[in-house]
Amino acid sequence: MTPRRRARYGRLLAAFLVNPTALLGAGVTLFVLVACTLGAALMPYGPDHADFMDLLSPPSWQHLFGTDSFGRDVLTRVLYGARVSLVVSAAGIAIAAAVGTALGMTSAYKGGAADVVLMRFADLLFAFPSFVLALFLMVVLGFGAANVSVAIALTYFPIFARLARNMTLLVREEPFVQAARLMAEPPLLILLREILPNIAAPLIVQATIGIAFGIVIEAGLSFLGVGVQPPTASLGVIMADGREYFQRAPWVLTMTGVAISCALLGLNLFGDGLRDLMDPRLRQRAQQ
Amino acid sequence: MPRSALYLAGRLAGAALTVLAGALVVYFVMRAAGGDPALAVLGENARPEAVAAFRHAHHLDEPFLAQFWIWLSGMLRGDFGRSLTIAGGIPISQLIAQRLPITAFVGLYAVLIAVGISLTMGTIAALRRGRAADTIATSIAVLGISMPDFWLSYMLVFAFALGWHIFPAYGFVSPMESPIGALYSGFLPAVAIAAPMAAVFSRMLRTSLLEAASRECVVVAQSFGFPAPFVFVHYIFRNALIPYVTIIGLQIRYLLGGVVVIERIFGIQGLGSLMVDAAFARDYPTVLACTIVFLTVVLLVNLAVDFICVALDPRRSI
Repeated sequence: MTPRRRARYGRLLAAFLVNPTALLGAGVTLFVLVACTLGAALMPYGPDHADFMDLLSPPSWQHLFGTDSFGRDVLTRVLYGARVSLVVSAAGIAIAAAVGTALGMTSAYKGGAADVVLMRFADLLFAFPSFVLALFLMVVLGFGAANVSVAIALTYFPIFARLARNMTLLVREEPFVQAARLMAEPPLLILLREILPNIAAPLIVQATIGIAFGIVIEAGLSFLGVGVQPPTASLGVIMADGREYFQRAPWVLTMTGVAISCALLGLNLFGDGLRDLMDPRLRQRAQQ
Repeated sequence: MPRSALYLAGRLAGAALTVLAGALVVYFVMRAAGGDPALAVLGENARPEAVAAFRHAHHLDEPFLAQFWIWLSGMLRGDFGRSLTIAGGIPISQLIAQRLPITAFVGLYAVLIAVGISLTMGTIAALRRGRAADTIATSIAVLGISMPDFWLSYMLVFAFALGWHIFPAYGFVSPMESPIGALYSGFLPAVAIAAPMAAVFSRMLRTSLLEAASRECVVVAQSFGFPAPFVFVHYIFRNALIPYVTIIGLQIRYLLGGVVVIERIFGIQGLGSLMVDAAFARDYPTVLACTIVFLTVVLLVNLAVDFICVALDPRRSI
């Protein structure tokens, strides 16, 4: 890392530490991550531990989120379920980011017919309501956790493709890229070493918000019964289960939703904070 | 021909191509995925002769592109064909004519609520920047995007239908039958759909109001001694409207089908549900018809938004 770049990262970190939105978002996200890894392991119950003497009991000190129709502790299930939902969503967004960025950067750098075709295709996917597209893909691909990731990836990759393309078009004309080209660096190296580090910031922001989006899509699909399939419990699966006896035991659906909202709140605040930090227009205004 | 007419023609041609390509892609994916409409109608244990007869009657035994062409030529004559499986034999145009007004009504209802809320919240947040009102409005907005809409629907049902018995928990009266009944029975779903949209809209409005307020023209107007409300309406608000209108236009695709889960929860027979049911039952022509309607509406709305933006800001040209 060059000293100049290190100084830039130092400034970013300093700005991050005084930005309340970003800090709060990072705190909540970290809390969610710790809860669904360490917290889940520390829970006194297992996610599938059924207690038939304690069915559908409302929230209490023994069971903070109450119990479900099998007498399972809802909080424990939510913590394990959040893990599944996070992994499914993060996997989908990772695919979307990798494929979308690669395609967007290449098509912006090369231009020509491939660029036009790719962008029309991205526009086409973009014109569909994202949830209907994801649902349609699930019906076609078949249900299950892996296909939820694929559906999330396909609905989200146009966003990465378009963003990477627009950013690359801007950076491509910068003097350091021209210099690299004059030094006859191979295009792949120029894309990876010169352009990618300079367009990474907005892509990371987009990925943070994308993971929140993926969690909602996963929950919605599983809620309808076409996503993750029981006995694997994701947040959507638990909510679908809670819907069955919503009138008798509203806490199952309610508390699971509160947990999802918490996770999404953390990710959204974190993403917002990061965007504020990295947006050069906003940064300039803050300096004035 | 004037430039704007040329531009309009170009955009319409591009939209038509996009719709066609979209239909082809959807058709290809559906066929590649397997599943058989004949089995969906006749049952898994149907006699092979019956299956063959069904397939022949609906051209399913012809080559892939030939089938697409049969469907496309019908569509170009204004005939969407008949439903294969979910509503055996009923013309699809009739199904769409039933569903589209419902989707449009609920969507418009939700947009109006969202616009009302966001105009208030976004403006207050921008005018009281950095103060308590701003913090509260901004926090509500972030909460709004962070709640899954179907969960919010259940919370609304829990409070207003099961708790207070103000609104029905389930069921939707079509606006064709009773507009008042539709307004009443559609209120909870419309609020559930509107909440995340209102959050997105008011964040956008706040940001663009703040940006518009920092322009030099505002300082000039203030230095002329124009009253503050006049400056706000003519110099700040008007400039802030363009991104606001654009983002409302972008949300239309969410309204068209993204609300399938809410339609299920409240028993609303919308267009999104039709497409999903049809996809489950391998009702190819119905899925294609829904695709066409979706894409056409989305592309037309995009076009309309572009024209509205030009009307709002005469410096822009198309």
